[in-house]
Amino acid sequence: MSAAAARGPLLLMRMVAYEFRKRIQFRAGFVVREVLNGTVEPLVMLFVYTALYGSAASMASGADGGDEVVLGGWTYGEIIQYVAGLVVVRKLVFHNRALDLAPEIFEGRVTKYLVMPFRFFVLLQGRFLQFTLMQLAVATLAWCIGFALAPDYWLVPVSAAATLQAVTLVLMGSYCCFLVFFILNAMAFWLDVIWSLLVMAWFVIGFTGGALVPVSQMPEGMYDLLSYGFPYWMITAPIELLMGRLGTADFLHGAVLVGAQLLALDLLRRWVWRRGLARYVGAGM
Amino acid sequence: MRIGFVRKSQFRVEFVNQVLMDLCFYVSFILTFDILYGLGGEGRLNLGGWSHEEMRVYLGMVFVADGLFMTFLGQQWHFGQDLKNGNLDSIRVRPGSTAFLYFFQRFSPEGLTNLLFGMAWLAFALVGVVPGQTDGLTLLWALPCAVAVTAWSQVFLMLSYNVVEFWLLNSDVGHLVSMLLSNFGERPLEVYPSAIGRLLKFVLPVAGMAWYPASLVLGRLDAGFALAYPFLLLGFAAVVLRIFRRGLRRYESAMG
Repeated sequence: MSAAAARGPLLLMRMVAYEFRKRIQFRAGFVVREVLNGTVEPLVMLFVYTALYGSAASMASGADGGDEVVLGGWTYGEIIQYVAGLVVVRKLVFHNRALDLAPEIFEGRVTKYLVMPFRFFVLLQGRFLQFTLMQLAVATLAWCIGFALAPDYWLVPVSAAATLQAVTLVLMGSYCCFLVFFILNAMAFWLDVIWSLLVMAWFVIGFTGGALVPVSQMPEGMYDLLSYGFPYWMITAPIELLMGRLGTADFLHGAVLVGAQLLALDLLRRWVWRRGLARYVGAGM
Repeated sequence: MRIGFVRKSQFRVEFVNQVLMDLCFYVSFILTFDILYGLGGEGRLNLGGWSHEEMRVYLGMVFVADGLFMTFLGQQWHFGQDLKNGNLDSIRVRPGSTAFLYFFQRFSPEGLTNLLFGMAWLAFALVGVVPGQTDGLTLLWALPCAVAVTAWSQVFLMLSYNVVEFWLLNSDVGHLVSMLLSNFGERPLEVYPSAIGRLLKFVLPVAGMAWYPASLVLGRLDAGFALAYPFLLLGFAAVVLRIFRRGLRRYESAMG
């Protein structure tokens, strides 16, 4: 192993510690960005579903009555659990504002990293690792608070194995997001402004993953299509694993699909970065 | 506006990207509600008393509100950072309202394009409304009033979200509050528990963004409330401006 390769893990750990310090420097900002982030949409979604199931229940009681209302294969109780799962899972997903690579490229600051004896990407992986470790703690805290407040409604994983499988899929999906946002940030080598691409990607990932409606509640054709993408396996599928609606075979299927997409994105990331550096002149774009 | 067009025409890819970005937002909303209403069979479910056709009008108002915001108020995203960096100096020395000069300094042609898309959707949605619920004559006066209320509400709600930054510098609280209340405002108030509904109607009048305008054009409001509510919005604007001026006294040229 070369000296440079040996320094890699050490550097990664240093980066993680550095990123932690940066994040908690402004405490109010830390609470807002890291703790409260991703809690609003699920709350609104819950109210919308409550109204929807209320409407369906009043229709059902007007017809035959009695039975629990099922919409698109989901009961209201399951939807509450889904929303609870969404609060926790979304905290683990690497978000579009967590990388600031594009300004570095625009302003020509990438040069200083290129002359250092390590890969620039390690620094960004440090950011990802810091984000994941911190958000694992925040997500655990969010789950505990939710469970303490509403134990009868909150999502309780069916088993430890299901939890492990769900977390694996979420983190694999989160790494895919990290790669997608890296690639979009690297578009700064060609484009003048990239924030709109990041926001657009965030919308698309959220919708196709099930942040607004569970993918398995969508029409069949849509579900068939979206269930190939990593967003589904990052949001809807892990929650369904935690609820026991999906099993180990589904997990393995999802892990293979997401793994393949992760590899493809990593190859694309390398290619885009190389092509971008070939255009880069070190004086800003 | 001319400078905005010249500036943006230099970044044509960015223009297309921003238009697509907002269209993604619109399409995801339209699809979401199409899916939700479709769950019970077309035309059967309602959301807090809003039928699918009415919900489309509601979404139209949400898109118009978003288009107005993106066209004229884009500068608000930079307020926290500008405050921290002390970038308000050049605005404060000018002979005019600091809030007006700061927040209206950008014009976005892509926002305007999306505003046109939003208006087109609103027109399409209004055509689909059950005949008899609203008519051309009502729309003639109600639609301009509704859009005016939307614009007014957007401006002063935006200002109210940002004043927090004077006290909690660099916290992103303005963004969070904006995101939180916008999210709530993007669905009809009837879906929320009554306490939240009242809060969004009377304390932080997010209702002015889409709920009141959509209800007005659909004839869902009683005349007394329809007449009184704009006065509440005027009062809210006066209070927000007062708080903003007070917050401005805390401003120093180097706050961060």
